[in-house]
Amino acid sequence: MLPLAHVGHYFWAFYLLPILFVVIGIVRTTLSEKRRRDSGDD
Amino acid sequence: MSWLPLAHALASRQDLPVPAWLFAWGASIVLIVSFFALAAGWRKPRFEKEHWRPLGAGISRALLSRPAQALCGLVGVFLLGVAVYAGLRGTEAPDRNFATTFFFVTCWLGFAFFSALLGDVFRPFNPWRAIARTAGAGFRAIAGQRPAHLAYPEALGRWPAAIGLMAVVWLEVVYGSTGGIAVGLDPATVATAALVYSAYTLAMMGLFGTEEWCQRGEIFSVYFGMFSQLGWFGVKDGQLGRRRPLSVATHWATLPGSAAVVIASIATTSFDGASEGAFKDWIESTFDWLVDRGVGLLAAQRLTDTIFMLLCFGGVALVYMLGVRGMRTIRGAPSLAKLRVGFAHTLIPIALAYLVAHYFSFFVFQEQAQFTYLLSDPLGTASTDLFGTASAGVDYKVLSANAIWYVQVGALVVGHVIGLTLAHDRALVYWPNYREASRSQYWMLAVMVAFTCFGLYLLSVSNG
Repeated sequence: MLPLAHVGHYFWAFYLLPILFVVIGIVRTTLSEKRRRDSGDD
Repeated sequence: MSWLPLAHALASRQDLPVPAWLFAWGASIVLIVSFFALAAGWRKPRFEKEHWRPLGAGISRALLSRPAQALCGLVGVFLLGVAVYAGLRGTEAPDRNFATTFFFVTCWLGFAFFSALLGDVFRPFNPWRAIARTAGAGFRAIAGQRPAHLAYPEALGRWPAAIGLMAVVWLEVVYGSTGGIAVGLDPATVATAALVYSAYTLAMMGLFGTEEWCQRGEIFSVYFGMFSQLGWFGVKDGQLGRRRPLSVATHWATLPGSAAVVIASIATTSFDGASEGAFKDWIESTFDWLVDRGVGLLAAQRLTDTIFMLLCFGGVALVYMLGVRGMRTIRGAPSLAKLRVGFAHTLIPIALAYLVAHYFSFFVFQEQAQFTYLLSDPLGTASTDLFGTASAGVDYKVLSANAIWYVQVGALVVGHVIGLTLAHDRALVYWPNYREASRSQYWMLAVMVAFTCFGLYLLSVSNG
């Protein structure tokens, strides 16, 4: 049996994941656009 | 709404086909797909103009005539009087007294819900506006001139309403919830608060003018007026008409403090939900910490709740400002202040979504009480049965736990998609190049996903 008695206390992490995915996606998109702009300027 | 044991849902647990957190993932996917759909297909602003169309002259005459306005005002004043009397003379039990349900459910929730659909329905029934207009007409008849008013300080804007909104919810949720340490919000306190508020409001209307105060400082006019910006109907030049839904909202947040009003709405609803679920452990720890330092039990309870309510306000404001700050990274962005004001209206559908999600089941249950035993026996003393419904009860089986959850999820998803749409539409005004406008909304997408997930988390924890 797995010790899962207190895993319910950490369910909030599942609600945080979509936010993290969106934020990481935004940061990556912004950085790659900046790199593309900078290499286009060179 | 903690003076009833079933504030947010039925006592039974949901029997969902998938875990509740998976609904948050699904809602987030809907928002992300909506974002890309807007970026691809919505290239010109559509909500900046009202597209006003007057309704028939007969309907306008019937609903906006002086006798109709006077009748609505009279109804508002009469019901305020009944509620105050019931509060002062009736039973101490909040669930059996007309006053508590009338103020905090029928009016507070009912006017918000119906204003969002139909427009400013509170205005004709506003009892303080009715009294002030009557007093103003009397003054004009006697003095032969309009009463003089002070110029309202423009910098104050809607800040009095924002602070007042926090105060109303503080009264109901913080003062009224004492963890069993003392009697909380009894009907007499509600009635006294209504009388104090009436005196304050009438004084402000006398100082600054009735319509001026209703637009800026009168809590309920501003609060319900905020939701009415989403509605189908409005009045222009003395005529009733239909307008494109959401279009009026784009011009609402021009007064200082408007963003604070909508942030306060989201924050207070969040706090009410979180205090019974997500924040419960932290609230208990802070309460114990204060008690250990010698603060009295009741003071510690109220201080703890006040701190967390203010933290909720700060948290919601911070998330919104992160979205606004993110928009500044796009070339050609207006100033931070212009963005902060320009996008505040996009939070109105979210405030409504939070309200519906947290309170609609409570509203459905309590309105049964409002229109049965509370109407027949408003004092709750079993001494009257005006309409023969004093012995009726509330049917809690009318909504299943699953149905409540699905409505909650639906409300949050729809509200946030509408918020995202309003934000995208406004971005097209500031960035005529639709690609830049879409890029500017990356961080508002993050804000919307954050509010959606946070809202669903609060509900899943408080539902049990």
